[in-house]
Amino acid sequence: MSALQEFLAAREIWQVPLAASVVAGALLGALGVYVVLRRTVFVSAALTQLSTLGLVATLLAEERFHIETEHASEQLLVAITFSVVGALVLGALRSRRLPAEATVGTAWVVSSALVVLGASRLVHAAHDLGGMVFGNAVAVPASDLAVIAGVAVLCTVVHQLFAKELAFTSFDAETAQAVGMRVQVWDSVLFLTIGLAIPVTARALGALPVFAFLTLPAAGALLLGARFRVAFPLAAALGVVAAAGGYVLSWIWELPTGATMVALAAFLAAPAALRRLAR
Amino acid sequence: MSGALVRLEGAAIGYGRRPLLQGLDLAVGPGEFLAVVGPNGGGKTTLLRTLLGAHAPVAGRVVRREGLRVGYVPQREHVDTIWPFTAGEVTLMGRVPVLGPWRRPRRADREEARRALSRVGVEHLAEKRFGELSGGQRQRTLIARALVADPELLALDEPTSGMDPAAELGLMDLLRELQRNGALTIVMVSHRLEAVANYARALAFVDKDRRLFRVGSLDEMLRPDALGALYGRAVAVREEAGRRLVYPLSSNGEEVLP
Repeated sequence: MSALQEFLAAREIWQVPLAASVVAGALLGALGVYVVLRRTVFVSAALTQLSTLGLVATLLAEERFHIETEHASEQLLVAITFSVVGALVLGALRSRRLPAEATVGTAWVVSSALVVLGASRLVHAAHDLGGMVFGNAVAVPASDLAVIAGVAVLCTVVHQLFAKELAFTSFDAETAQAVGMRVQVWDSVLFLTIGLAIPVTARALGALPVFAFLTLPAAGALLLGARFRVAFPLAAALGVVAAAGGYVLSWIWELPTGATMVALAAFLAAPAALRRLAR
Repeated sequence: MSGALVRLEGAAIGYGRRPLLQGLDLAVGPGEFLAVVGPNGGGKTTLLRTLLGAHAPVAGRVVRREGLRVGYVPQREHVDTIWPFTAGEVTLMGRVPVLGPWRRPRRADREEARRALSRVGVEHLAEKRFGELSGGQRQRTLIARALVADPELLALDEPTSGMDPAAELGLMDLLRELQRNGALTIVMVSHRLEAVANYARALAFVDKDRRLFRVGSLDEMLRPDALGALYGRAVAVREEAGRRLVYPLSSNGEEVLP
């Protein structure tokens, strides 16, 4: 039996994780258009770390202080809280005395250090954490798929309803504010969707692929020369191909799932980048 | 001025609690063309944004006529050109505050955007990427975006910055034409007095470092004492071929070409 036939025969094992990866790839790919165009790629990295820090905090609370957080929903709620609060704070940053990058970098490096420190104190759950950070999309429960799908629907509805406000305030906040638009409110709406999407997808895919999907598909779509409205479906499609293709290839070639997805996402973006370089 | 569109009353402008300039009184009436002139970093943009309500005054009051429709043209360099919008899409954004949430732009809004591009002479660039336009074309697109909301007050921040003389004259001619034909009130910020001396009807000199804030008609403000307060040195004003030319004088009394 070939590797592909084996893969197809094991459909019951992979259909939920694959579906979760595909939805996450589409969602993060589309949101990534704003992440890349607003030059906030590093914000998404910091949020991914903050979300992981939330998970570490729940695991520590359980192991060290015997606070019951073994339910996935409780862990997810804490991760969402860390990510959303971080998103609202980091997304609202405007350069004053320090460049915004300095604060975002501080958030990233401090949360990364706290993740390492927290993980070093974990005894039983240390192995689980590895999957959360580097991706282990092989085993995703149906409940996680439902949550990812729910968040994807919510984000899609919000971005459809307020597309023009989010685009205007992101593109030219100065003018939007001058003509009376509440830029901070719209920034919060945007970063709320990003802050929500990161922890729910990070649970399924891991932090590394989430950061990659928020960057590479959008970068690929924009480098291909897509116009603003076209960039969203194109980036989502690239995210889907990278997620699904990476999942299948990692199964067949017995590679780490998250890293394979990231490599494929980079591979898909490469021709567009080369084309732009050749100009 | 009782019919003013917007008025500063004893206002202090600045960021946070720190005032840059204090005790400012200014009224902008309908049909006026006011140029706010001063050195870079002198507080002109802060004054403009305080007038528009984008910044709260540190002290005093800003009174705007209720329902005042405002169009704003930012400094061209502040608009990020990596966004893959066409000139038409950028112009259509001007309809967003008019439409409000929930409503999507319709054919009539697109038609308004096309008309606005036509008014500033760049209708043919509607499908071209904003980032691929020249500086002057980009500036005209941003003016079209401001016009598409049918503003009563058009505020512009350094609209001719970085332009060559021909493009600068073309843009200033356009603004004068819009102001006359469209019954627009214009408030524009510029660090170059020479650029606005033949177009504005009133001038405000602003320089926070000299604690300077002086407002008056063009004739009042182009007198030696007012210009001396702005430049900190003697200034000559000449009229050649119907145009006013402003020459700051060097320390040995020679004219410095504008």
